[in-house]
Amino acid sequence: MDETEIDQRVREIAKTLRCTVCQTETLWESGAPLAQQMREAIRTRVSQGQTAEEIRAYFHGRYGDYIMMAPPKEGSNWLIWVAPFLLLAVGGALLWREVKRWVTRTPALQVESPPPLDEESRRRIERELQP
Amino acid sequence: MTRTTQLMILVVLFALFSLLYQGLWGDPRHIPTVLVGTRAPVFEGPDVETGEPLSSERFKGKVILVNFWASWCQECKIEHDNLLRLHDEYKDHPEFVMLGINYQDEPPKARAYLQRHGSSFSHVRDVNGTLAIDFGVYGVPETFVIDKNGVIRHKWIGPIVDDVYANLTQNVLTPLLEG
Repeated sequence: MDETEIDQRVREIAKTLRCTVCQTETLWESGAPLAQQMREAIRTRVSQGQTAEEIRAYFHGRYGDYIMMAPPKEGSNWLIWVAPFLLLAVGGALLWREVKRWVTRTPALQVESPPPLDEESRRRIERELQP
Repeated sequence: MTRTTQLMILVVLFALFSLLYQGLWGDPRHIPTVLVGTRAPVFEGPDVETGEPLSSERFKGKVILVNFWASWCQECKIEHDNLLRLHDEYKDHPEFVMLGINYQDEPPKARAYLQRHGSSFSHVRDVNGTLAIDFGVYGVPETFVIDKNGVIRHKWIGPIVDDVYANLTQNVLTPLLEG
């Protein structure tokens, strides 16, 4: 494996792991000394021929789910994966219900029929329409 | 929508946002470590003071207290006297060993720190940070207790002071050494 390929694999793996001291950055983005050392540790393991999964498992075994940018889909972590869709569905349903209720409550526009034409007015119109 | 339904939705939303906040910005000190109950990594490195290689293999079968520290770490200074006191309390026990691991530091500064604050046990230098990663360290100070079977039994993030010291000695070290 050449240096470019190693760099590429280090970047791919480091982007999936979270910096443990800066919390909201990946290992790849972070400038923290610990993150730099972790990137070096990834590089060493990539050079030794370890797979991305093996390297991720090594870090996960030491820092737990906290280090994973995408927490494993198991146990209570399912909540993190499902909650946004659940919130969207519940929110959508509530919004639909409220809009429907609002539409039902709004009275339909009443079109009133004009009052019947009296005889005098009818004659006047006919007179005026005559050429 | 009834008042109860509105309240329930608010409670669920609050719980979800709290979880999200904890997950994204929570202090890792409050996250339970995954290492307690697992086999401790074997570690080795140069002795900070003598430069001689030092390996944890040498202390196999003993209760080992491992403390990660650095000369630039303020909290390490706070706990240093307690570490010396703790070593003094247990040093005569044949099955007790205490080791320091010097983390992200420069050897001259680490040596000067030990000369200034005192040193009664050995310290290994973590040359490229791999020992800290092997132990899942977030920062310094962090302290681990490894039992006679090589299993990590306790981890503490932060200085060993007051109640932490009492808990470490009474509830962790003494039972492990007497058990």
